[in-house]
Amino acid sequence: MLNVDLFINGLIIGLFYALMAVGLTLIFGILKVVNFAHGEFYMVGAYTYTLAAFKLGFDPWLALPLALAAGAFAGWLTERTLMRPLYAGYSSWGLMRDEYAVVVTFALSLLLINLVDKVVGPYPQRGPGLVDIPRMALGPIMLSGQKLAATGMSIAMIAGLALFLRYSLWGRQIQAVAQNRLGASLAGIDTARASSLVFALSGALAALAGALLAPIINASPDVGAFPAIKSYVIVVLGGMGSMPGSIAASLALGVLESFGAVYISYDYRDTFGLAILMLVLIFRPQGLFGERGREV
Amino acid sequence: MGTRAAFTQKDHGVSCLAVSNVSRAFGGLRAVDRVSFDIGRGELVGLIGPNGSGKTTLLNILSGHQPAEAGEVRLGDEAIQGLRPERIAARGLQRMFQLTRVFRRMSALDNLMTAGRALGLAHPGALARAGILLEELALSRVSDLDAGQLSGGQQKLLEFGCCFMSPPRIALLDEPFAAVHPAMKETMARFIRAHHADGQTFLVVSHDMPVIVELCPRTICMNAGAVIADGPTRTVLNERSVIEAYLGGAGAA
Amino acid sequence: MDSSARRMALEFRLSLGLLALVAIAPLAIDNPYWLGVLIVSMYFALLAAGWNLLAGYTGQFSMAPACFAMIGAYTTGLLAYHWKIAPSLGIPASILAAGAIGAILGLIVLRLRGPYLALTTLSFAEIMRLAIGNSYDFTRGDLGLNVPGLFESRLACYYAFVAVLLAAQGGLYLLLRSRAGLFLQAIRDDEVAAASRGVDVVLWKTVAFTLSTAASGLAGAMYAHFSQLVSPELGLLSQTGLVICMVVIGGIGSLIGPLAGALLVYVSSEMLREAGGVQLIVFALLVILIARFFREGLWGLARRSLRKTTA
Repeated sequence: MLNVDLFINGLIIGLFYALMAVGLTLIFGILKVVNFAHGEFYMVGAYTYTLAAFKLGFDPWLALPLALAAGAFAGWLTERTLMRPLYAGYSSWGLMRDEYAVVVTFALSLLLINLVDKVVGPYPQRGPGLVDIPRMALGPIMLSGQKLAATGMSIAMIAGLALFLRYSLWGRQIQAVAQNRLGASLAGIDTARASSLVFALSGALAALAGALLAPIINASPDVGAFPAIKSYVIVVLGGMGSMPGSIAASLALGVLESFGAVYISYDYRDTFGLAILMLVLIFRPQGLFGERGREV
Repeated sequence: MGTRAAFTQKDHGVSCLAVSNVSRAFGGLRAVDRVSFDIGRGELVGLIGPNGSGKTTLLNILSGHQPAEAGEVRLGDEAIQGLRPERIAARGLQRMFQLTRVFRRMSALDNLMTAGRALGLAHPGALARAGILLEELALSRVSDLDAGQLSGGQQKLLEFGCCFMSPPRIALLDEPFAAVHPAMKETMARFIRAHHADGQTFLVVSHDMPVIVELCPRTICMNAGAVIADGPTRTVLNERSVIEAYLGGAGAA
Repeated sequence: MDSSARRMALEFRLSLGLLALVAIAPLAIDNPYWLGVLIVSMYFALLAAGWNLLAGYTGQFSMAPACFAMIGAYTTGLLAYHWKIAPSLGIPASILAAGAIGAILGLIVLRLRGPYLALTTLSFAEIMRLAIGNSYDFTRGDLGLNVPGLFESRLACYYAFVAVLLAAQGGLYLLLRSRAGLFLQAIRDDEVAAASRGVDVVLWKTVAFTLSTAASGLAGAMYAHFSQLVSPELGLLSQTGLVICMVVIGGIGSLIGPLAGALLVYVSSEMLREAGGVQLIVFALLVILIARFFREGLWGLARRSLRKTTA
């Protein structure tokens, strides 16, 4: 019974990881860079949700889309102001685009964390639950209503994203740009808009994760750091650009950590993912599911 | 299947580069298919073939950037297949890239100095040699500029120069005349001719037929990964199989 | 001497000048708090110099400088705490330990570039920090280790730092002026081309890694004996972030950028602390602006305006 419980809980955690990782995967697919400020989109979502509910008196079910919008806006703004140079070619970093992305997004992360710390204050704030039902039995396991609602929403969002990418015009354009930027632009696709869209989507998803988890993991300025690191791990494990890969890797990581915390070590539960990340990058730079190697 | 009466060691003395049955496949596609040829010391050989014929892959294998799956490459009397690029460069094979590769944030002079010192020259010697090359390639005026600030043609000449800081046993040039201003083309051709007269061995990959005819006494033609002709340039260019390769179902074989 | 050699010589001379100012500062400042601030900025300057060698000159953007400072601090700290080994032996041990571990890490990440390298070194740094923090029995975890001081007086500590920084700058200059400087920068600009020209990429990347981490270890060890407390917080990612900020603001890829950046950022950060704690916001903003519009940092701006006035 314990194992089933651990497994289901692991999957649920994995779903939240997926919300974080999927956006990052999209960004990597399109721009071939890692966004080190991704955790701060999560934080923006958590704070928007919490503050909207408590300071502005919004109903939690209204605060949620507001948090999504805030995340989308943050993502869009980041891309528009900071990421353009990566493909518009007028950055003074020129060839060192990878390094530019690292420095700029890292600094952005620092900026956002300290800005929030200054403006809102460093003390953790607890977000309101969406649903009041305490614990329900779902088959063999017990779940709180909040967790259930959150899980449901996550699945809906991820499925929605997958459908969007597969069937909508803009979604297919995004896939085209991810495969071949030059070719896509030659075919008339607005690559800049595709990039903005991807960043907005990733910001929205991360913000959603932050909002959904706000009742459980209180909002604080650096709350985004842990989820971010997890998503980096997943993006690499999943193959740096492969959506199904990152979803699979998210669920796998969730389950691994769930079992590992109980059977191996609770203290080191956060290092499993990191260790796997290192090992994968060393021995299989293209990730578990990716095809392209990272050799020069 | 065409002329294979190549110039062999007998005609040009010592062998400089001996390629035997080199093969490499990607998935099911044979990119390089049992390629064999022998380049004697002091030869100036052209390598032609339609797009996708495997020329660049072959060069990558020769310069150590990609491994061969079978076959042997001998530089002089040493086997070099499978060695890392820096080891092969140290042994005297220099390779110029199709998409110009220079050290963009270092000055033109420093680019040359890096190449020279990597091949074992001491500072004064490298400096002197760099000065000579800068003169020869008409780059003296821009020697202090960052390589990234030079024009495309100047960068190509610079990369060219880097290969000659320590005269290599053989220089592999990958499309040196592609997308280059005619004046630069002339400078490069002049350089090649002058150094060839001094005994430098060259293998030149190019699509520019007039230049190949003018520069290279001997030409090898590849198609679909295999060598289909190897002999005096005019003869090769008149071969049926070569003409068909370029006009007909090129690369479909 | 061509222009790039001249530029490097100028940067070196300026950094000596800056260090001279730092050396005579105690004549004007006798407040121990501000002396301490300058000491800590020298700690960061050493970290920054090491990271700049790796990232600015060799193009490897590691996220682990603070981690290696922590490794250095804990090496000498644990030696002192458990086996009563004096700092005069502990500090060299730290250099060796950090350098050795760095060499191994460098070999491991040889084929990685850009975000892959950043992520791997980031993971390594976090794993180390968590491991040290969790090994309570050995390291006293988050409580930290108490270690003996290097000297009785703060002033003596101060000059020890100045001496070490001086030696580091000098060593860096000698290294970069030699063919190593050419090779490292070539690797940064185009690794494939560097290999094609005969540069032993494996060797030099590893050398850069080792020297960088050894410098970080040294910095951490010296800091340990100055503050007399060693804790895993030394290895926090935000500390690495601070180092990166300092180098980018000062001017990445130059000899004077890390030194000037570290002093500027840390000292003004302390000064701003009294004005309400917005320092990190300001610096992060500055880094973003510099990275976005002018990657050569403040030193680059200074050079441009100098050129305009003398042209």
